[in-house]
Amino acid sequence: MTDASSRLAETSAAAATGARPVLLETLNLKKYFPIMGGLLRHQVGSVYAVDDVSLQIYKGETFGLVGESGCGKTTFGRTILRLEKATGGSVSMDGQDVLALHGDALKRMRRRMQVIFQDPYGSLNPRMPISDIIGEGLLAQGDKANGWRKRSIRDQRVGDYLEAVGLRRDYSRRYPHEFSGGQRQRIGIARALALGPEFVVCDEPVSALDVSIQSQILNLLSDLRAEFNLTYLFIAHNLSVVQYFCERIGVMYLGKIVEVAATDVLYATPQHPYSVALLSAIPVPDPRVRTKRLVLKGDVPSPANPPSGCRFHTRCWLRERLGNPAECSTTEPPLRELAGGHLAACHFAEQVTAQAVQEAAATQSVIETAVDVD
Amino acid sequence: MTAISPAGGADPGATVPDRPLLDVRGLRTYFHVMDGTVKAVDGVDFSIPPGGTVGLVGESGCGKSVTAHSIMRLIDIPPGEIAGGEIWFDGRDLLKLSDSEMRHVRGGEIAMVFQEPMTSLNPVFTIGDQISEAILLHNDVNKKEAAERAIESLKAVGVSAPERRVKQYPHELSGGMRQRAMIAMALSCNPKLVIADEPTTALDVTIQAQILELIKALQARTGTALLLITHDLAVVAETVQTIAVMYAGRIVEAGTVDQVLLAPQHPYTQGLLNSIPGVKKRGRALSVIKGVVPNPFRLPPGCKFQPRCPYAWEACSASEPELLPAPNGAKSRCYLHSPEGAGRREAFEKSVAATMESVGG
Ligand SMILES: Nc1ncnc2c1ncn2[C@@H]1O[C@H](COP(=O)(O)OP(=O)(O)OP(=O)(O)O)[C@@H](O)[C@H]1O
Ligand SMILES: Nc1ncnc2c1ncn2[C@@H]1O[C@H](COP(=O)(O)OP(=O)(O)OP(=O)(O)O)[C@@H](O)[C@H]1O
Ligand code: SF4
Ligand code: SF4
Ligand SMILES: [Mg+2]
Ligand SMILES: [Mg+2]
Repeated sequence: MTDASSRLAETSAAAATGARPVLLETLNLKKYFPIMGGLLRHQVGSVYAVDDVSLQIYKGETFGLVGESGCGKTTFGRTILRLEKATGGSVSMDGQDVLALHGDALKRMRRRMQVIFQDPYGSLNPRMPISDIIGEGLLAQGDKANGWRKRSIRDQRVGDYLEAVGLRRDYSRRYPHEFSGGQRQRIGIARALALGPEFVVCDEPVSALDVSIQSQILNLLSDLRAEFNLTYLFIAHNLSVVQYFCERIGVMYLGKIVEVAATDVLYATPQHPYSVALLSAIPVPDPRVRTKRLVLKGDVPSPANPPSGCRFHTRCWLRERLGNPAECSTTEPPLRELAGGHLAACHFAEQVTAQAVQEAAATQSVIETAVDVD
Repeated sequence: MTAISPAGGADPGATVPDRPLLDVRGLRTYFHVMDGTVKAVDGVDFSIPPGGTVGLVGESGCGKSVTAHSIMRLIDIPPGEIAGGEIWFDGRDLLKLSDSEMRHVRGGEIAMVFQEPMTSLNPVFTIGDQISEAILLHNDVNKKEAAERAIESLKAVGVSAPERRVKQYPHELSGGMRQRAMIAMALSCNPKLVIADEPTTALDVTIQAQILELIKALQARTGTALLLITHDLAVVAETVQTIAVMYAGRIVEAGTVDQVLLAPQHPYTQGLLNSIPGVKKRGRALSVIKGVVPNPFRLPPGCKFQPRCPYAWEACSASEPELLPAPNGAKSRCYLHSPEGAGRREAFEKSVAATMESVGG
């Protein structure tokens, strides 16, 4: 841990000299889940859910984290918030080593970091009135200074935050089943914000909602960000939502960050072959836009048994184009800076050009894309 | 619309030119539940020509799946009731067929692909057995031939090592593979119509792209008609020729993909297009459709969109509009396209032009 802390100090110092202050930073963050098996239920393997992720999130920004199901987005968010115990690496918030905190210091830190969950149905206790759902966290965080242990003060605050998310104060007496999906998501947001956090992990906050409600919630989240000076880690698999909502984006594949860039840069000139395919997969509502898609082969491999070298090599169109160079399957590509603030983890990122993408799309076989990757 | 006389079903293989393959007219499907009657589908009309592709879109609960299940006669009666309408398919009204006749249509002439393949594949039978069984039921072949055709059909949807896959159980396949197996099963009897109900909603975006490209390629190759159901306007934009937009159990707009998505003629469609987040809208608030989807037990009088519609006037709550022809050739269930609405149309068209300006990337 000392090693990590000294590096933390170093990078925070470096960040301090940079243009934008870093609020949250992870260094080589790892979260492995044990796979138990056999008669004696001993560990037979690991799910490498988050594997060596180093990221910086600037104060006040909305950082998008995208990638396919199971790539580790939620686990990354949960590990930062200490809802999962990290296997290795470090997390710092405002220069403080989050993973080393305990007792009162940890309790104070928890207030500053909150989460909004994807599922507006499953994340609210059906047997509790809204006042208790939102008040619970306040009670736990209550002290002399904020007075949250007192019911009247708590109720006042619950009402304030219900109003902040566009609900009526007197809804606090109702139960979750009395609300629609969009309203429940607002309650989840009120619960997270009532504690006055600085950093909020939004884990697919609109994925379960219809488009017309989705736009209401996105507007709400961006108003609240301005009002309360929030920094968001916005996890989503809907790439149109992320493009609209986030300033910078990290692309994840099998537990690793494979690309980081400003949103416009990423969408205009993705440099990692996986990002290219991911962006090419987005359906667009404009029938005039009919570019040929680059369709990826096969499924995402299991994070319990990730491919050697570059984890994307089993599905990589660029590798195929380059005649399957050995590095791809033997050497893990580091996340390296290609241009100011644009990072990608591919040995051959420079070869990802618009022409290469077009040619690869033109020569693919749409039907024979279901290859075995495991 | 003139009545089309049923062909009597003498030769179901013969398709009369110009006659739609599927013609749904005035379909009403209700559910009688404790709190009252849910009019899930209340007067739906649309048709699909042989080999045509139609997208049925709309938000959760608007009646898309109930429409599909009504066509397939999969509605549980009770609590459901087909309260009215006709479903003409290849010269017969499906609503008048006996259960055994319908069994031959279902899975044979009309096949269905569901959102979550796990619920529609039987977990205790192998993939091969399930496809073979469908083939045996609808074709005059023996078991061995059916097994061979099952392998071929898996190969046709790009499943690698199909000889091995046929021996596997659904849970042994990934989501994308299972959806391919469902499509293989649907196509194994050369149906005239495939109904795909949210076939990619449960899948990841790269797998969704694989499956959509696959559906398009197979549709073009086999010439099957396709009814694609989804809440995602972008998905239909790429996959079908014509679109029907549903709201509160009705079709509110119908036309070609270009008509509906480039020049929407119904305020609800405009609202949907407006709320899609896109790059051009960054830094600006998304426009929202005010209010919520109406409670199915308390539908508003007149136009069902009227409480949420920015253009509504008295006429809209007095009675419900029909599907009226719009100037661009599409149809829209909106009084803006009636003679009384003429004076208000300009404002609507201006606002649509602004919407279209902000959509797309
Ligand atoms: N408690 C757990 N025990 C074992 N494995 C887990 C646990 N939680 C997550 N995993 C595994 O870790 C990997 C990453 O999961 P995670 O939920 O972080 O993915 P995700 O990117 O959020 O996916 P989604 O888009 O589906 O939400 C997956 O393979 C998942 O099965
Ligand atoms: N068996 C049933 N009993 C009572 N109501 C039903 C039943 N099936 C459907 N409904 C109601 O009919 C309406 C239409 O449902 P339907 O499943 O067709 O919606 P949908 O458009 O497919 O929505 P989604 O996008 O969520 O799948 C809903 O209000 C639903 O609650
Ligand atoms: S390192 Fe090789 S396999 Fe990995 S993304 Fe780059 S080209 Fe593809
Ligand atoms: S009929 Fe009236 S309320 Fe209904 S969509 Fe048209 S303008 Fe709006
Ligand atoms: Mg997740
Ligand atoms: Mg449905």
